[in-house]
Order: sequence, then C-alpha cells, then structure tokens
Amino acid sequence: MASAHLDVPFDRDGSARFLPWLIGFMVYLAALSLVSALAMNKILDRWDRGLAGQLTLQIPPPEPTEELDRREQRLDRAIEILTSTTGVTGAVVLDPADMNKLLVPWLGEGALEEDLPLPDLIAVQLDPSAPPDLDALQLRLAEAVPGIESDSHQAYLTRLLSLTRSIQIVAAVVVLLVGLSAVLAVVFVTNTGLSIHRHVIEVLHMIGAHDDYVAQQFQRYAFKLGLRGGFLGLVLAVPTVLLVGRQFDASDATLLPNLALSPVDWAAVALLPLVAAVIAMMTARFTVLRTLVQLL
Amino acid sequence: MVRFEDAGFRYDSGPFVFQDATFHLEPGSFHFVLGPSGAGKSSLLKLMYLALSPTLGRVSLFGRSVSELSRNELANMRRRIGVIFQDFRLLDHLSAMENVALPLRVSGQHDERVQQHVIELLAWVGLAEQLQALPPTLSGGEQQRVAIARAVIGRPSLLIADEPTGNVDDRIAVRLLYLFEELNKMGTTVVIATHNEGLAARFAQPILRLQDGQVRYVAPGYRRSFSLARGSGS
Repeated sequence: MASAHLDVPFDRDGSARFLPWLIGFMVYLAALSLVSALAMNKILDRWDRGLAGQLTLQIPPPEPTEELDRREQRLDRAIEILTSTTGVTGAVVLDPADMNKLLVPWLGEGALEEDLPLPDLIAVQLDPSAPPDLDALQLRLAEAVPGIESDSHQAYLTRLLSLTRSIQIVAAVVVLLVGLSAVLAVVFVTNTGLSIHRHVIEVLHMIGAHDDYVAQQFQRYAFKLGLRGGFLGLVLAVPTVLLVGRQFDASDATLLPNLALSPVDWAAVALLPLVAAVIAMMTARFTVLRTLVQLL
Repeated sequence: MVRFEDAGFRYDSGPFVFQDATFHLEPGSFHFVLGPSGAGKSSLLKLMYLALSPTLGRVSLFGRSVSELSRNELANMRRRIGVIFQDFRLLDHLSAMENVALPLRVSGQHDERVQQHVIELLAWVGLAEQLQALPPTLSGGEQQRVAIARAVIGRPSLLIADEPTGNVDDRIAVRLLYLFEELNKMGTTVVIATHNEGLAARFAQPILRLQDGQVRYVAPGYRRSFSLARGSGS
C-alpha cells in the first residue's frame, strides 16, 4: 500500500527493456561530447592567453653579400621604434640558442648548422588594455627595416577558433540527434505502455484518477529507466575519458592540452544521467497527457 | 442526483442503443435496471458512471450537465461514484488491500487511518484473511467482494453495480442485494443492473426497464410498465 509503488504493472511488459541501453548510449556520447567541448575551451583559452597581447616580428637574414653589422643595425632600428611606441611594453630579441631549441623537434639534432640562414625574431609585448595602432606600427617598421614581417597571431587564432567551434557544433549536433532518438524511443515506449496497460488506465480513470495521476505513473517509470540508463552511460564514459586523458598526457605533445577535468567539469559530467532521466520523464509525461485526451 | 433528458446513445455510427430516455433518480433512491441481454443496460450505466457521453440529449449528475465538465471535473465527479463492474476489473498485480485502497490513493489519501479503514472494510466483506492475496488467487465470489469494497471505500454518493449477481448463486445474490439496501439506507443512491427479474422482484424497488431502445419506468409494486418519455422516475 506504499504510495511509492506504481499502479501500472510496467514490470510485466518488456517494451521498455531497451530504453536504459539507449539512454545509456546517449549519456555516453553526451559525456564524451561534453568533455571534448570542455577540452576545446581549454585549448582556446590556453592559446588565447598565450598569444593575446603579443606580436612577433621577423627580420629576414642578411644576404651573403651584405655586411654582417647590417643585421645588428636592423635589429637596433626595430627595437628603437618599438621602445618609442606607446602601448608596447616590451621587446625581446630571441636568442639563437632558444630558436635552435624550438626548431630541433622539427629539423632534428645537428640539422642546424652555423651557416643556416635563420631570420631574427623579436617577441613584442603589447599593453592589452591600450594596444598600439598595429597598422601604423607595421608601416613605420617596414619603412625603417625593409623586409620585416609581423604576425599578431590573430589570423591563426581566428582559424583555430573557427575549427574548435566547428568541432563543438558537430559534438552538439551528435548529442542532439542521439537525444532526439532517445526522446522518440521514450514516446514509442510510452505509447506502447498506454496501449498494453489500457485496461488498468481505464480502471484508474473510472475510480477518479486525473490525467496527471496516470501521467505520474508513466513519468516515474521513465525517470527510473532514464536514471538507470544514464548511470550505465556514465560508468562507461568515465573510464573512456580517463583513458583518453592519459594518452593525451603520454603523447607529450606541447600543442595538446592537459585533459585533467576540474571538479566543476566532473560535476557537469556527473549531472548527465539526471538530465537524461528528466528528459525521459518529461517526454513520458507530455506523451501520456496528449494521448489520454485522444484515448479516453 | 441522476437526470436523463431526451438522452440517446449509439456507438460511433451504429444503431441507437436507446433513445429519448428521460428520468430522474432522486438522491437516496434505489433502482434496478432490468432488460434482456444486449438491451443496453451496461451502456446506460456507463453514461451514469461517466465512461461514455450521450449522443443525444442531456445527462446531468449532481446537478451538473456532464457534457459541460472538464476532464478534471469529470474525474472529481467519478470520485463520488462507486462502480462495481460486471467483470470486477480488479488490478491483478495489486493485493486485495491495494485494490480496495486504490480510489483513496488516486484522490491523494495515504495516511494510516486509510489503511485501517481498508482493513476494516475487507473484514466487513469477509476477507480479513485475504488482505495480501492477489485477485487471480481469489475465487469469483471473493473477487466480487473486493470489487464491492473498492466501490464503497470512498463513501460514494452514487453506487452503480453492473450485474453484481451474475456470478453467484441466488442465496449469495440476495445477501448482496441486502448489503446494497443497507448502503442505500445510509444515504447512498443505488443503481443495479441485472437480467435476473425474479431477484429484483423480491425487493420493492422501482425499476428502469430497457426494451426495444426505450427506457421505461416501473414503480414499486406495479407489474405493468409505462413509458417515462417526459415524466419523473421517482
């Protein structure tokens, strides 16, 4: 007689047996997509923080016919312009040894010979709150140092941003489509349940049950199945995320971010079963309320 | 309590089960609905317990036309009606106690007093030892008593029974009808459909007779029936 049990004998029909698996699959994909989205945000944030407020100047190496002190003169002229420009907070000429370190992963040890012509690079720090007029600065630099090239990384960042946004959109579309499939499955299961248990629903109606009472029977069952499937998906997703994260860490790739999730990120992932259960519950509720009006 | 005004009913586009039914059952009255099998007794009762709506005319319960009620208002009105179905319609997966408590549960009553009341009622119908029994494990007579207990647990103003004596011998049938008379004396309006004319004749109660698609009223003590096309039935 406990009020917690259900008046409709759902456990006697097998129409909903596959639903937890489907919802589990949905939560699994949603968890992976969510983690991907969080990782993409981390990548963007890291690159953005690393590159924002920076400008890299590249001065081509002198021609073999040119005098060696021409190189120093061009660097000095560029540094002079930079230090006299408002909004430039610092400028450092990259040490050839540091440049070698950057190039070793690409060209290999010993590939860098003394006479390999490398450009000079100047890392310029800009004041993010009051940056200089980059076009004007570039014009002045080009006049003073012919052949100088500048890169504010914005084009690079924009392309990366576009790429990561595309990945996030694809992930969201996947979750949406799987979610839609789960919703349709819940609608199907609920309609089948209404058909199978019609005699019980008629009795409930005849003794004074409101549509809401009948809907509650179905929505509680859908919530239970949704939660069960959701936890199943979560249990499968967590090891997958940990495994992929470990492989990221082991790859030692400096461009790839560390996939370690924050407690807030894990909380968001852990909420997915509840979200799936609530979606299943609400779908069942609306299906029952809509169908009962036509049925009885 | 129950008022039919020129009411008629048919399933979909089939022939009319009955037409021009006009009668009024006063609160606290006791009526038999008689007629041969297929005459439309169950359909008439279904209109009274709000399982169907009239195709023609007007049916009013408790002073309100049922056609004008919302779904929630219909449900609230059904809570004032106890129904004993011909096939009992017990829920097989619920115990006798849970079946009887069902009308109280759907109306939101869950407390301990309710449970005690259910136990007392089942004891009253002689099922004190079968509280936890599932309907399929009970005999037909026991199932019927569970159905009766479920119908009266909510102290309904109107009690409707569709062939309640169909599955029991005459001795039990008479006892059942005395039980309904007792409930009627406590103020419950009772309507009982039966094809057992002899049984109904043993009780001096008015009769609604369904024949040839017409509802006729037979006053207590009268052997001849007359049409109630425009008159009052009590």
